[in-house]
Amino acid sequence: MADNNVSSAPIKYDHNFAQEFFSTENGRLAQKCMQCGMCAVSCATKDLMDHSPRRLFNLVRAGKKDEVLGSNTMWMCTSCCTCKVRCPRGIPLVDVMHDLKNMAIAQNYVSYPQAAFYQAFWQEVLNRGRAFEGGVMARYYLKRGWGEIKKAFEMKDLGMSMLKHGRLPMVPPRKIKGLKELQQIIEKAQALQRKEAK
Amino acid sequence: MKYSLYPGCSMEGTAVPYLKSIEVVAEALGMHLEEIPDWNCCGATIASGVVGDFTQQVVAARNLALAEPKGYDVLVGCSSCYFSLALTNRRFQTDDHFRQMANEALAAGGLRYNGTLRVRQILEVMINDIGLDKIAARVKRPLTGLKVAGYVGCQTVRAVPWEFDDPEDPVFMDKLIEALGATPVKFPMKAKCCGSSQALTATDIVLAAGNDILQCALDNGAQMLVTPCPMCQLNLDAYQGMVNQQFGKNFNLPVLFFTQLMAIAFDLPPAAWALKNMIVSPYEALAPFGINR
Repeated sequence: MADNNVSSAPIKYDHNFAQEFFSTENGRLAQKCMQCGMCAVSCATKDLMDHSPRRLFNLVRAGKKDEVLGSNTMWMCTSCCTCKVRCPRGIPLVDVMHDLKNMAIAQNYVSYPQAAFYQAFWQEVLNRGRAFEGGVMARYYLKRGWGEIKKAFEMKDLGMSMLKHGRLPMVPPRKIKGLKELQQIIEKAQALQRKEAK
Repeated sequence: MKYSLYPGCSMEGTAVPYLKSIEVVAEALGMHLEEIPDWNCCGATIASGVVGDFTQQVVAARNLALAEPKGYDVLVGCSSCYFSLALTNRRFQTDDHFRQMANEALAAGGLRYNGTLRVRQILEVMINDIGLDKIAARVKRPLTGLKVAGYVGCQTVRAVPWEFDDPEDPVFMDKLIEALGATPVKFPMKAKCCGSSQALTATDIVLAAGNDILQCALDNGAQMLVTPCPMCQLNLDAYQGMVNQQFGKNFNLPVLFFTQLMAIAFDLPPAAWALKNMIVSPYEALAPFGINR
């Protein structure tokens, strides 16, 4: 939970972080946040978050980089879009959360399992052109190591029933034919994106 | 009526019964579907967390570029694919700077997208293009008396708010259930989030959401749930056993794709019902209609 204790020590704000965040594609839209809290009361997973989205945006303004990028808030977001639909300022919070995840991964704040899952998913897309679910799972478990693999064994009944009902193909589909072109497109898109952020 | 079909990755794996039923139901309604050649993953709501929205939308746009020469509306079943493709399409149509930049990236793979297509959710197409009257007229096995909870989930109606249905209290699914002769039950959790991909990373979220959603359906007398979303279907069907374990419940509620229920009501060949793919058996609920294992 957030630290609500009031200290008499002077607060040091780091405006660089706010600027960094507000220069991202959707982060700039979070500048419109008026702290009404509609996102917090609408959120499907708020109870599990270190900070609600509202509080997170306030922490951005306060320059609390470590608290923001190290928090689980964006990783708990399920992209259900309820906050996005309800935000009176029209902030696409789901997309802002994407930017925060992106920033967190780029700056190596990757301790949450979701960060490993996201990276596993992307590796699958990048290497195959399609996300083969078995491949995503395998990459995820390898990234997370033994603890997570043990959990996977606890869920073996579920895996077996999915196999039995033809819901878990073990053989990946073929890579897309235009994989090389797709990779070239991605490379160019990344270069353009970096240029745009400057 | 011709459409370019974007199946999406899940329809090659966990959502196989969705694709099987979509293809046959569409044919029965006179829809002509052509799969987008060599389509790629749309990136879902996952890729942008790793590579940023712009790159993710360019990846999604490759599919639109491949579909554009045909000029047909792009038909999408998966809610996450719909989220990704519909928003990308909207950006191509409304943001000149984005379109130019995205086309610069697409050109690296010899492609270009001009933003001339429409991206459509299959549930919306059923209501707006086909029409409830035509669907009702096609029913050969009216599902009279079957109580169904229409579980729309979150992204289908909220990806592009107010594009076709109420984002908080959607009604399209209920209307469709009614057209098949079945009874849509009151279902306040019809648009609640199922926890989506947290199934793997924070399983408790999905189990708690599943418990709430299934209990709500049961309390309102539902015998089964139907959904247009592969993630919702998987989480409520495959994880139902774990929900029972965790919460000491005894749920036994089948969760079908709405197109499977259509295939049954249309009395199409049983292979298209794809009931063997369902983890919670739907046969008890369907027995009154002469459907047995």
